[in-house]
Amino acid sequence: MMAATRVTLVLLALLAGATVQAAEPMPFVAGSMQQIRAAHAGRPFVLALWSLTCTHCQEELTQLGKLQHRHPGLNVVLVSTDTPDDAAALTATLVHHGLARAEAWVYADGFTERLRFEIDPRWGGELPRTYFYDRAHTVTARSGALAPAELERWAVTSLTTPP
Amino acid sequence: MIHPGLLSAVMLLATVLGAAGCAAPAKPAPASADHALHTDKKTSDRNRMWQASLARAPLAVTVAFDRTGQLWRARVRDGQVWLDRSLDQGRRYSDAVAVNSQPERIAADGENRPKLAFGPAGEIYVSWTQSLDVPFSGHVRFARSLDGGRRFDAPLTVNDNHDTISHRFDSMTVTAAGHIQLVWLDKRDAQAEARVGRRYAGSSLYGAVSTDRGSSFAANRKLAEHSCECCRIALALDTDGTPVAVWRHVFGANTRDHALLRLDDQSQPVRVTHENWALDACPHHGPTLAIGHDGVLHLAWYSGAEKQRGLFYAHSRDRGASFTPPFAFGNPDAQAGHPQVLALGTRIALAWKEFDGKQTVIRVQQSRDGGRTFAGPATLAASASASDHPLLVSDGVHVLLSWNSVAEGHRFMPLAGDSP
Repeated sequence: MMAATRVTLVLLALLAGATVQAAEPMPFVAGSMQQIRAAHAGRPFVLALWSLTCTHCQEELTQLGKLQHRHPGLNVVLVSTDTPDDAAALTATLVHHGLARAEAWVYADGFTERLRFEIDPRWGGELPRTYFYDRAHTVTARSGALAPAELERWAVTSLTTPP
Repeated sequence: MIHPGLLSAVMLLATVLGAAGCAAPAKPAPASADHALHTDKKTSDRNRMWQASLARAPLAVTVAFDRTGQLWRARVRDGQVWLDRSLDQGRRYSDAVAVNSQPERIAADGENRPKLAFGPAGEIYVSWTQSLDVPFSGHVRFARSLDGGRRFDAPLTVNDNHDTISHRFDSMTVTAAGHIQLVWLDKRDAQAEARVGRRYAGSSLYGAVSTDRGSSFAANRKLAEHSCECCRIALALDTDGTPVAVWRHVFGANTRDHALLRLDDQSQPVRVTHENWALDACPHHGPTLAIGHDGVLHLAWYSGAEKQRGLFYAHSRDRGASFTPPFAFGNPDAQAGHPQVLALGTRIALAWKEFDGKQTVIRVQQSRDGGRTFAGPATLAASASASDHPLLVSDGVHVLLSWNSVAEGHRFMPLAGDSP
């Protein structure tokens, strides 16, 4: 019990310190997807959809955190399908996975069908869902937690392909 | 100084990281408090989240006709299942009666909603999933009324493993003999394997039967291993009295197609869909099954497989041993999903959701020849707000759509060709 309490306190202290650097997720509403694509025009990025309530998403976030650590120049955009009320938990989760500096968004409209449609009309809503945007913004969509090798292969290819 | 929201965030994070399975897509459950640290603070945080979850009006609405043609409607509000009834096909409803007098957290959105069934002597049976404090955990609950819905007995917990793990996604039917069959997705086997350091793909399908009008349930029985974790189970009664279940299953490492089991104590699960949707993810997208008076099984389902993405329909004339080649319906470029199938003689109705870029629409396609051919799709209802999955029900003469949306509220409407 004492040990568990001490671990919890250490975890709290670490997270309290770490969250200083992590911004709150931005509200993802109708039009946000267009905004994200425009902001990254001419550059590759990986768009990852996730939720606090999705187990496989934790594996995915772990791998994305490692990927970003290996490739600091890689643009990672994370969109949570939770709600802005969950901002503190979202930030803590991203910090835990080493994704404090990634661009983070959270669904801020209960009419989620519209948000999903703007991201990808063909997406059935399964999580995690990952989109690889190359430099020309040709998109490859993948469902489910991805193998580290696939992420690495994409990162290397997209970062080394000349504009 | 610790940010006030951070404590609950850390607790939530800890439980999420420690849990296994899929939760409802809408909201995480409140975190569990298991340490003495800041007890008051934790209690107030948890109470706040608990109250918030109770205060949210869930979208899920369940409707069913009883054996006399009365329409019953179950909704969840403030931690209670509320039941009302209509004698005029949903134009007017009676005052609602609370099924459970003590509020509890009830799963009521998307793939999880209370279920209604009726006994041969007018018994009313209600089952639901009670969400527990830890994310992804729940108990299967059951309550009955023997006086026509005026009052309900105190609910029972049907799962006989009471660990704080997943026993969720209940489905219910009543056999001709009046036996109540419940099935659900259960994590006890996965938990047992995890304790000895082994990985267990998915959940298990469990069931329990009551032969005494819901006074009690016999011991839980394992029906199948390795179901997918968070998709509704389709359950229908065959003409020979056998309940038939279809669910999303994990074949091999991670192929999430569908399996069928006849609950006759002898049959083994058989694979009935073959899109080979291999992924480590939670589709939140279960199948639908209807069995006509002619004993034909009608099945509809969703697959996200790269080469066969979308909605599919097939039927079986040999009690589920083999199915016709899948018929694709719905527009996969418009999020076609969450299908319903209903059989009324040789009339087969399909309903599903699409999003047309501005609003969610309920599309319908009907067959008049037992599912061999279908007329073109039509739009029956629309909403530019969040909405529930569609449900199809029949009073034995008409086919009707039940659909709840935030802006329009609960709607109940006949399909084309039906005068209400």
